[in-house]
Amino acid sequence: MRSASVLDVGRPAARWRTLSRSLRGGLKGGEYTWAVAFVVPYIAVFAAFVVYPVVYGLWMGSETRLYRELFADPIYQSTVVNTVLYLALGVNVKMFLALLLSGFFMRPGRWTKVLLLIFVLPWAVPQISTFISIHWMLNGEWGLLNNVLYTLFHVEGPSWLNDRWTALGAVIVSHIWKWTPFWTLILLAGRMAIPLEIRDTARVDGATGLRGFVHITFPLLANLYLICTLLSTIFLLGDFNAVNFVSGGGPANSTHVLATLGIRNAFEIAHPRLGVAAVMSALPLVIPLVIVLMRKLRTSEVQL
Amino acid sequence: MTYLTRRSVLHGSLALAAARPFAAPHVAKAAATTATVWFAQGFVQDEDVALRKAVADYEKASGNQIELSVIPFAPHRQKVISAITSGVVPDMTMSNPNEILQLFAWQDKWLDVSDVVETQQAQFSETALQAAQAYNSVTRKRSFYGVPLRAAAIPCHIWGSLVEKAGLRIEDIPKTWDAYFDFFKKVQDNLRKQGERKVYGLGFQVTANGVDPANLFNAFLIAYGGQDIVTKNGKLHLDDPKVRQAAIKAAGYLGGAYRDGYVPPSAINWNDADDNNAFHAKLMVMDVDGTLSTEVAVKDKHPEWYYKEIVTHGFGYPNDNSGKPVPSIVPITQGLIPKGAKNVTVAKEFLKYFIQPKVIGEFIELGLGRWLPVMPSLAKSAFWQNPKDPHLRGYAHQGLLGPTRPDYYVFNPAMAEVYSQHVWSIAMIDVAKEGVKPEAAIDKAFKRIEEIFAKYKIA
Repeated sequence: MRSASVLDVGRPAARWRTLSRSLRGGLKGGEYTWAVAFVVPYIAVFAAFVVYPVVYGLWMGSETRLYRELFADPIYQSTVVNTVLYLALGVNVKMFLALLLSGFFMRPGRWTKVLLLIFVLPWAVPQISTFISIHWMLNGEWGLLNNVLYTLFHVEGPSWLNDRWTALGAVIVSHIWKWTPFWTLILLAGRMAIPLEIRDTARVDGATGLRGFVHITFPLLANLYLICTLLSTIFLLGDFNAVNFVSGGGPANSTHVLATLGIRNAFEIAHPRLGVAAVMSALPLVIPLVIVLMRKLRTSEVQL
Repeated sequence: MTYLTRRSVLHGSLALAAARPFAAPHVAKAAATTATVWFAQGFVQDEDVALRKAVADYEKASGNQIELSVIPFAPHRQKVISAITSGVVPDMTMSNPNEILQLFAWQDKWLDVSDVVETQQAQFSETALQAAQAYNSVTRKRSFYGVPLRAAAIPCHIWGSLVEKAGLRIEDIPKTWDAYFDFFKKVQDNLRKQGERKVYGLGFQVTANGVDPANLFNAFLIAYGGQDIVTKNGKLHLDDPKVRQAAIKAAGYLGGAYRDGYVPPSAINWNDADDNNAFHAKLMVMDVDGTLSTEVAVKDKHPEWYYKEIVTHGFGYPNDNSGKPVPSIVPITQGLIPKGAKNVTVAKEFLKYFIQPKVIGEFIELGLGRWLPVMPSLAKSAFWQNPKDPHLRGYAHQGLLGPTRPDYYVFNPAMAEVYSQHVWSIAMIDVAKEGVKPEAAIDKAFKRIEEIFAKYKIA
């Protein structure tokens, strides 16, 4: 057995000094202390308001028996179907309309500006009161829509919220109505950021109207459009208000989405862990979306 | 100019830490005399005024402080569940929903309050005392985990003016179950003949939202002889032919009335407030709905409705089809002290003060009588027996003086989950809208109920 030399004893200490220097980022003495003092509050806030809630949520939904219970719930499957439909139609129809409307609002003229002001109103007003109004408007007996139908055409309208598909349709249309103005404004800003020179040059080359849109505008907007679509999908996955206040998840629990099912499980059934599990079951969809989103945000191509 | 140095910061911190024990007695004293109390906001403002008065009176009498939070109904429910889950709890809260007592007692989350209940045990109704108890699956015992504060019955509310408009009289309403409800179908038929396009006889909440549909279904289940679906020992009796027949008849009557056009079509997707709104809009002639909120809500704005047009049916439910009285299920709001509460002493002291007959009686009466007292002696007061009020006497009789019983979740919390998963609602809707036979709808419901009860086995 070899006896320890002075050199051996010094080695770990030297390693520690090197590591310590690199951790200190080259700062010495009091400078380092002050740097730590300034960073600690941010780390504490980040830990308290980001790390802790996320880890706590993951912990709450970590037991496998919760998922067995969730999948045994008779309404879970229809909830997943509703969520997929809500995402597919709600996001894509809304974003497509926003893309078209942003083109319309690029037109010069005072009336366009006035129309834009009116157009953004649904987005500007509080969503809960508007969704409750829609719920009442669609009431089969005393709702505005059926009363108008009867007054004008003597037609007894259906009970819109009594059927799964018309109720889900009402939720999707309400969401599109509420959020199209917001995404239109984002895409309008994107269109306005396209340099005039590019558009003028394209026009000289004959790329006007649809050709200009296909070959110039859309390629330049494509990245923004995709990012908006991904963001909207993530927002919509957590959307509770439209379903809760328009259809209430009914009739017979047939229009729940994962967000409303989570709240129902957490607070109506008084089983918060099962509620978290319902929301967590969307993770296989959310995680790839976030990864794609992050990649797109890092893209270095010349795009808006 | 003095600069901060690492040494000066360390010295300062040490000095603060050293001073801490001298500051502590003040904090400790404040903590010992202050309790945090959460209540849900009332449906009418008078309820909150009555609560604040009771709290102020207690503070004056005891010298203790109550940090009272009066929170809107739905957020209060969420806040209580979140608090119990996270462990950051108030010193006292009211039960919201009521079944939260049994659901969380099962998980050993409430403090035993037998000593508080004991102070007024002789005063409470038998139903209130039963409803204040719950089974704790950790200790495997039943005990008092709630302190009864107020009660409610589920009366039948009737537009007397619509009955008269249909050419009939309130006195003509039959006294037995099926005939009683069939009467309102006749009212609808007569009104339709007069050209009324949008009036329905029955405001049955055949919906899968809120607590109303379970209350409605239970009333029919009991009236048809299925009262033993869950017995006091917490056992489920779906194999009892009487229970099965009663459930089939209940689903058949309630779903059938909807299918036959005697219930507003939108009832299938009503939320908790929609039936009240529909009733006030005279969309239906009668509904079966908890508390006197239907009447109390219009007392100031439409006194003629309160005093003349709306009738709260008699002295409780009609008799069953064989002529026997039908007991009313009486939900009881409880005062609860969560485990982990910091100021248990003050919370218990406050509850002992609050449930004194004089205090709780005044609190209930100042709330206009939407809620019932939990002590039969209080129902004999001039307020409840006021001959000029068309609603209060009957309501007090139904919920306190007549035959009553606690809800089934009192005996087994599984029933609370049956309600919140709206198993009965789905059965009613299957019959009403999907054309499913009542037998098949109840078989499906029973299968789900068995699955839920399997999670709550009582030793």
